[in-house]
Amino acid sequence: MTGPARAAAWVAHLREGGTTPWAEWTGTVDGPTPPVLPGAQQLELLRRVNQRAAVPDALVERVLAASAAGRGRPDLELVGARPASDFGPPPVDPADLPAEELLRVAALLLAEDLAAEGDPDERHDRPDDLGRLLGDAARRMKRSGRGPWLRPWRTKYKLVGDPWRADALRRDLIARGRPPGGRGALVLVVADDLATMLGDLWTDRCFSTGVAVPAWGPWLDALAGSRRIARGADPALVAATWSERVGRERVRIVLDETQLPAVLGVPRLTPRPAVSAEAAELARLVAKALGLRVTPDVGRRILRERLLPRLVGHPGHPGAPLAVPPEHHRWIHRRSVRMRDAVRAGDYPVLGEVDGLVSRPRALAASGETLSGEAADERVLALAVDLLLAPTGAQDRTGPQEAGT
Amino acid sequence: MSARVLLHVGTPKTGTSHLQDVLFRNRDRLRHHGLLYPADRFDAHFLAALDLMALPWGGLQAEAIGRWDALAEQVRRHPGTSIISHEILATASRSQVGRAMQSLAPDDGTEVHLVLSVRDLVRQIPAEWQENVKHRSTITYEEFLAQLRDPERKGRIATWFWGVQEIPDILDRWGHELPPENIHLVTVPPPGGAPDLLWKRFSSVFGLDGLDLELEAERANPSLGVPETALVRRINKAVNPVLDPPDYRPLVRELLAHQTLSRRTRTPRLALPPDLHEWARDLGQRWSDEVRRRGYDVVGDLADLEPGPPPEHWADPDSPRESQVSGAAVEAIRALLVENARMRAEEERLRHELHEARVALDRSFLRPSYRVREKVLRGVRRTAVGRGLHRVYRLARGRSSRSA
Repeated sequence: MTGPARAAAWVAHLREGGTTPWAEWTGTVDGPTPPVLPGAQQLELLRRVNQRAAVPDALVERVLAASAAGRGRPDLELVGARPASDFGPPPVDPADLPAEELLRVAALLLAEDLAAEGDPDERHDRPDDLGRLLGDAARRMKRSGRGPWLRPWRTKYKLVGDPWRADALRRDLIARGRPPGGRGALVLVVADDLATMLGDLWTDRCFSTGVAVPAWGPWLDALAGSRRIARGADPALVAATWSERVGRERVRIVLDETQLPAVLGVPRLTPRPAVSAEAAELARLVAKALGLRVTPDVGRRILRERLLPRLVGHPGHPGAPLAVPPEHHRWIHRRSVRMRDAVRAGDYPVLGEVDGLVSRPRALAASGETLSGEAADERVLALAVDLLLAPTGAQDRTGPQEAGT
Repeated sequence: MSARVLLHVGTPKTGTSHLQDVLFRNRDRLRHHGLLYPADRFDAHFLAALDLMALPWGGLQAEAIGRWDALAEQVRRHPGTSIISHEILATASRSQVGRAMQSLAPDDGTEVHLVLSVRDLVRQIPAEWQENVKHRSTITYEEFLAQLRDPERKGRIATWFWGVQEIPDILDRWGHELPPENIHLVTVPPPGGAPDLLWKRFSSVFGLDGLDLELEAERANPSLGVPETALVRRINKAVNPVLDPPDYRPLVRELLAHQTLSRRTRTPRLALPPDLHEWARDLGQRWSDEVRRRGYDVVGDLADLEPGPPPEHWADPDSPRESQVSGAAVEAIRALLVENARMRAEEERLRHELHEARVALDRSFLRPSYRVREKVLRGVRRTAVGRGLHRVYRLARGRSSRSA
């Protein structure tokens, strides 16, 4: 009976904030032991969280009761906790579990937290009444200092192209009282070098729910295999489509964002939020779990208006930016050259240098995070643990307990 | 408070689609007899299972939000017997099982019965590979089998397969708080038996004997042969990057696999390689012994879990006869062309309908006063102030500011 008693004592130790690994734990409890213990993933995650800071009781219980989201290994038994069984997955030493398994549990907990906070845009819950109309107008006036209707000569615009940057610019402009659209709007195709646009495209999808997004490596593999570039990363295609629709004279390819304030008649524009590779990967995992709790439009707002500021505001931010693994350098460079040539051939007006579309081999080889390997998963897990502790972690960092060894 | 809950949690490929179809289509008649099958759509329990297990499934998860709690509430409110059935529940973790049990029978004396329908491993393994292929997988049969035999079970294929197929482990997770007499194993008869034998077993365990039910199934999960499965795997490799799940499901899984290729029944059937028969037989035997030892209620015969002899001629789906694959491919092209023609006709009909609606609309807008008002309104709505004033005007008139 030492196995179950030892396991029960270890669970109690973790509940009290302990950090001793299972393999080193020798304590036991007297009396009956619970028939079912939390899975090894949950217990190891709690140990990692305990290592970081004191954990509130409610979070302790949530970690122990959680199941990992999505497909993957089931809740596993602790090796040595029970007599060997012929059935079920083999028991494990929790310290041997890959970070990816712990991340599945942590992502579900973070998604639960975010979903519990509700839709950040409360206006969607309110009736469309006169009060709301006036309230919206007042808010816009307050943000911008002037209402858009006071500047009928303003440049009307539509932002397309790189979705991550276009979305950030659009939000900024709306906050300045400059919503997109309008008769004769200038179509601004936001672009960059191909590798950056692919990173932005993946990041944009990581901050969306609805469709599961593969990890960065497999996502690039699929892209390379299909020989197709999604529209958001193909400014030549986007510019051609809009030229047909509104005429070439109303289309601009934007490769230098510093020129945009002058074009749009605003004093400045806030640059897009810099998101580290680990932050984007964590958002992807959280989005997968969040998609099971809220509708895609609410999920997108929650991820961008609640999770993104927390990631950007994290003390360790920004970490390394997303980088393209070496096996993709050649095709991305070749493809980016073709893209530049297509833009040149289309003779579209460009803000900036058209050569900015080309992903140079030297730039591709520069340091960054390719999100491959266990070390990368560990960094993402560390970020997830910090976010789980966010409400209390910064205040209370009493030393973890070592006991029972 | 519910008096009794019959919880059917698996396993896949044991006639579950047919059972669920019959229960769904007869749900009104069942209710008349005090039996609740709480479903507003045929896949209601599937969505509830996705919700319970936080399982993304090709974009369907948004439709699953809150489904388990809604299902459990219906069960709790029903005073008689309720039936819940979906095979992916087999893979639920202990904490998910705990949540399910708590929501269905919250310590109020509700009698919970667990039902698990089971089939021999020799038939389940190829069937499960085929299910993977029908869900976009491109894994070869050889690699699939290698993953299943990995003792660590680390891969996703192995995790899922054993999660939904390993009978003693499923019953450990789902049944550890239930008395053995409340756990019922329904065995699938071996091939060649009476066609309605499985239904009779389901009927007896779910208490459907003597009820006048429509048993003609509209939905089933038919099987494919070797060249057909090989073809679908090749199609997956080609279309996965370009076809999103909402399109894949109706076009590849339903139209090609279920409605077209499953009709080719003369081609070789998928089977376990002969050299793996002994391994599967031994495993199945150990499972049967464990079930017998635990004293569960067996509906049917545990001997059904003993596989038949290996086939004399085994067809390898990783190296199919190309002539058979091309025959299947021609069938697939024919089906796609027929479907395309049907959709073209539908498109033409809708185009015609739209044209007629536009003409009717133009006719009603021909009044001169309407044209003037429309022109003024268009002018006003060009500016944000104008749009705001228009909304105020509509509100003042007592109409919603949102167009219908």
